[in-house]
Amino acid sequence: MGSYQVGRMEWFWPEGGYTLLMIGVFAFGAFRWNLPIAVAMALATIAGALVAGKGVPLRHIVEGEFGYINTILVIATAMMFMKAVLAIGLLDSLSAWMIHRFRRFPVLLSLGIMLIIMVPGMITGSSTAAVLTTGALVSPLLVTLGMSKVRTAAAVSIGALLGMIAPPVSIPAMIICAGVDIPYVGFMIPLAICTFPLAILFALTMIYPHIRMFSDDKILEEQLKNMRKNPLSVRLVLPVFVLVFLFAADQYLAGKVPGMGMPLIFLLSALSGLLSGVRFDIVETATEAVDDALPVMGILMGVGMFIQVMTLIGVQGFIVVSALSLPSWLLYAGIGISMPLFGAVSSFGSASVLGVPFLLALLKYNSIIVASALSLVASLGDLMPPTALAGIFAAQVVGEENYFKVLKRCLLPGLMIALWGIVVIIFSAPIAALVF
Amino acid sequence: MELRIKGTKTTAFILCVLCTLVCWYSAAQFLSMRKPDLLMPAQGFQKHMLSEWEPRLEGTNMDTPVYIQDGTESGGTVYVQGGIHANEPAGFMAAIVLLENARVRKGRLIIAPFINNSARTHNSPQDAAPQSFKIEQEGGNYREFKFGSRATNPIDQWPDPDIYIHRPSGQKLDGSSRSNMNRSFPGDVDDGITQLAGKAVMELLKKEKVNLAFDLHEASPEYPVVNAMVAHESAMELAAMVCMTLESEGIPMRLEPSPVNLRGLSHREWGDSIQGLMPILMESGNPSQGRLRGRTDEALVLTGRDKAYEKASKMGLLFIPYDGYQSIALRTARHVTGVRVAAEMLGDISLNDAVIFEGIPSYTDIKDNGIGKWLGTSGL
Repeated sequence: MGSYQVGRMEWFWPEGGYTLLMIGVFAFGAFRWNLPIAVAMALATIAGALVAGKGVPLRHIVEGEFGYINTILVIATAMMFMKAVLAIGLLDSLSAWMIHRFRRFPVLLSLGIMLIIMVPGMITGSSTAAVLTTGALVSPLLVTLGMSKVRTAAAVSIGALLGMIAPPVSIPAMIICAGVDIPYVGFMIPLAICTFPLAILFALTMIYPHIRMFSDDKILEEQLKNMRKNPLSVRLVLPVFVLVFLFAADQYLAGKVPGMGMPLIFLLSALSGLLSGVRFDIVETATEAVDDALPVMGILMGVGMFIQVMTLIGVQGFIVVSALSLPSWLLYAGIGISMPLFGAVSSFGSASVLGVPFLLALLKYNSIIVASALSLVASLGDLMPPTALAGIFAAQVVGEENYFKVLKRCLLPGLMIALWGIVVIIFSAPIAALVF
Repeated sequence: MELRIKGTKTTAFILCVLCTLVCWYSAAQFLSMRKPDLLMPAQGFQKHMLSEWEPRLEGTNMDTPVYIQDGTESGGTVYVQGGIHANEPAGFMAAIVLLENARVRKGRLIIAPFINNSARTHNSPQDAAPQSFKIEQEGGNYREFKFGSRATNPIDQWPDPDIYIHRPSGQKLDGSSRSNMNRSFPGDVDDGITQLAGKAVMELLKKEKVNLAFDLHEASPEYPVVNAMVAHESAMELAAMVCMTLESEGIPMRLEPSPVNLRGLSHREWGDSIQGLMPILMESGNPSQGRLRGRTDEALVLTGRDKAYEKASKMGLLFIPYDGYQSIALRTARHVTGVRVAAEMLGDISLNDAVIFEGIPSYTDIKDNGIGKWLGTSGL
């Protein structure tokens, strides 16, 4: 693949102009007028369509929003689950129990917490599921052990990203496979190579140094006492049991029992909180959950229409081919930059729109290793605003209002994830020789 | 400067009215996709429905017309399906050109132009695809066809699971593959309606004793399996002969073996399940479905002209010869010619199974004169 040098202006115009206009209108709306992100995206979408001569394409605007309907349902129901387990006091009680049990073994605790954060992502392939389930469970624990809210949210976000990519289920890798018609077979070890070394590294650098410092047992005991308001019992943990059972059944009995899907699983698990023995108002809890999730759901709808109009007026092709046209020595940098940036739309979108062409451009390497590594880099999209599904929910889980503080804390780990992905691509031949 | 509008009952009412109008307008646009396209089969074709081979499909959006023409002499049976991916228009346009022109002299020809009927009734979100395209004809006439989606309409099958487990192989695929009919074979009556339709096709192929079966597709120009025939082991000899003939006629055609470990696809499961059947899948290069495409509209579907693909071609990223155009006429001509040559050669493999049909326009007829000349005139 060589670099394309001629006709730069012809290539740039008008799609490059549309790109700048759409980004400009979005930035102006969001930062100058302080409009909600979703509304700013809608304005940018309409501006792009108008300038490109497409009028106000209502059908495209509505159709684009539907691209996220499943994600929106997952978010709304997962938030209901989280609010239900908060309402019954399960989060506090479980954290208190874990701290009491493992605080003398901080290395083990750090590694264990990282694994716990990752597990729902490993099973479901969704970073949001990881953040809103075990991420929400361990967050109070980490905060109690002395980690700041921002550091906690960052650790949960990064753990959730790695969980999303770790085997057995990596949806971005599956999306790339589907795009080039290779079966999702033989991915377990490559995905493990992509994720577990990083998980150990981040557990020991993002969690361990901050929880091992905690030494004032008296204050800690006082906090633990407050947290154990509702004693940990099988009934109290019922929503988590139901969740784990239904997720496991959905994944491992697939084909034998009807698939339920994440929204129904979250709803049933939240409802099981009614049997926990702690009274709470389910309608109020559900309303509060939808209220909290509304801005993110709105953002997703805004992004949906934005990407549809980007495709309609040629901006998507302009961005993808521009990224691919980088000279080969810059291609890796292109992967490390463009995939996370495009992931602002969604990490799955990045895997599909950029992951597939990048894999095709790297066919000289082992496709399974490269697809695994590209899915790892694509996962960073879930930290990228405005969608930033993993990051924004992690911030929400710990009660941190300013997501950008969390993003700042994630920059270095994010850079390491991108670099590790690129290293895996570059060394894919020896890795493949070792693995296959 | 902060732009804020105070929320009142009036603003809420205005928003509700606006939402209703947007819903009404877009719903009307979405529903317009359900209007069936006009087909004008050549004389001799009998219309059937896919549900005749799988009655559970009757009355569903997956039921679709299947046309059968018997020749005057007995011979083999050729099956041609298009539209398994409704965003690959040359696939179904080739089936329609065959349907509206073929005169079968020996053997039998079965054509299912829109095998995933549901996929034709919607577009995939964020693909920004046009809802339809017009094929021009003489005298200002035209024929209009839907440009659909790769997947079954979510109205008919929703939601997709996170992971789709293909039956009976147990292979795990991404969840959206459950709505992809070309991952549904050999089909299953206890899964989704896409899998049920897959089962119906298998029944058709078995009961009608099909010898040679075509699944007509299109692929992105940057995808390695493009301008290609993908053949099951049972069809490899015939496909090799066809590819050589096409190459000698100046039509580049790769020959790809059907991957053994990629399950659910027509060329794999048809051949594995039905003794003696020769399945072949054909791909032409369609810029309007590629990930590198620029402005996405009807013109791109019809001409394949695209600045982004032109640049990608110069960068060596494409697997088709691309000089700025890849018209639907060219892509359809490749498919029609591939089917015709393979059917002609079927008798060389097994004399009793020969199929002869006439009246099919040649490669240059279609490429140079367009598709419209070979379609019936609707008078529109």
